[in-house]
Amino acid sequence: MFKPSTTSSALRAIPSSSRTIASSSLLIRSFHATSSASLATPSENKPAQTKEFKIYRWNPDTPSEKPKLQSYKVDLSQCGPMMLDALIKIKNELDPTLTFRRSCREGICGSCAMNIDGVNTLACLCRIDKDVKKPSKVYPLPHMYIVKDLVPDLTLFYKQYKSIEPFLKNDNPPAQGEFLQTQEDRKKLDGMYECILCACCSTSCPSYWWNQDQYLGPAVLMQAYRWMADSRDSYGAERKEKMQNTMSLYRCHTIFNCSRTCPKGLNPALAIAKMKLEMATE
Amino acid sequence: MSLIRPTASTSTFRALGLGLGGRGLHTSRALAIRASGVRRDATVAADETGGFKYIPGGPILKGTVNDAVSDLPASRSHGSYHWAFERVLSAALVPVTVGAAVSTGSAYPILDGILAVSLIVHSHIGFDSCRVDYLHPRKFPVIGPIASWILKIATGLSVWGVYEFNTNDVGLTELVRRLWTA
Repeated sequence: MFKPSTTSSALRAIPSSSRTIASSSLLIRSFHATSSASLATPSENKPAQTKEFKIYRWNPDTPSEKPKLQSYKVDLSQCGPMMLDALIKIKNELDPTLTFRRSCREGICGSCAMNIDGVNTLACLCRIDKDVKKPSKVYPLPHMYIVKDLVPDLTLFYKQYKSIEPFLKNDNPPAQGEFLQTQEDRKKLDGMYECILCACCSTSCPSYWWNQDQYLGPAVLMQAYRWMADSRDSYGAERKEKMQNTMSLYRCHTIFNCSRTCPKGLNPALAIAKMKLEMATE
Repeated sequence: MSLIRPTASTSTFRALGLGLGGRGLHTSRALAIRASGVRRDATVAADETGGFKYIPGGPILKGTVNDAVSDLPASRSHGSYHWAFERVLSAALVPVTVGAAVSTGSAYPILDGILAVSLIVHSHIGFDSCRVDYLHPRKFPVIGPIASWILKIATGLSVWGVYEFNTNDVGLTELVRRLWTA
């Protein structure tokens, strides 16, 4: 709001020699630079946009109670734009027992992976649909054992990641300095090293749903290929040997749900295809 | 898949108990993992055929949370050779089908035979892949092997049936031709 007292005080602060020119521009500028307008304050005049969120709830303390969808109503005009903002608002104001994983709120840690309106994605990167007539459905990652509410048990996922030995293995390190790598060889890793292991892709794959204990899943397979494709790694043949069975790699039938759902825009299906081709043509 | 050796479960027990200052863990998940070790002198129960005790409602974990999943035995005939053969066969079916479509079965009976056999092998591999996906014997100890045998018997009968049909009757290509223009 424009306050006359602030304007006159700003004018008084200018040295007298330059007052004529500077004062007019400062007068104009000061209309927009009043102290209250420079503070970010929540607007009181926004109309309430109440959206319904239906969130999957299950409590391990009462395991015989079946999981259910609980409805929460959130005013979107008082909430940040992303699903994670809505979840945090619900936890802060409506229901502190709502349980979910979160950390970076910027799509880099992979903690808040969940199924939102049928799509596996990160809650911190998923914008809330502004259509307030339709409720938003929030489920945990599909076909995973649930620890509580929206928290899946990713133990098997991490055990599978460990099994592919996701580290550089080379018996002949250079005598001095680091392993050298050309820019072309480094480019081969682009699109694979950025994986944050959020498990969105693996839990979107029907093959992973049906054979989770033996099929590794697109996330782990892409990382397996990331190490096969790394020119500094010398254990490519052994890594490929691990995949020479019916289940670990070859349950992939190029369904492509993985690449479709990756919240980071990566392409696990392509990495798997390259791995299959290399294994068949070596 | 081998059963967990008793030493592994005792060391697991020690790791869970002593590694945390002797307090041990009292969460139900830790108890579940401890319970998933196989007892030394137990015979294999129905829920332990996977090498670990399957606890309904719990995650299927073999060993502790820090063990990697074990590697499956490597066999190229089940791995890359199978995959490559499947693709080569699918690719070869294209010219064979086109060839059979533009010729008559009576003119080129060998082509007719090749088409029939490759179609049956291609279908067998496809159905087998389905069976492995949905009815794997490790999850379905009874109907898994039954499905496998049904598929093998059906493939065998098809090969024999197609042979009889091609030899003593009009043949596959001629059949399709007659049905097409009927």
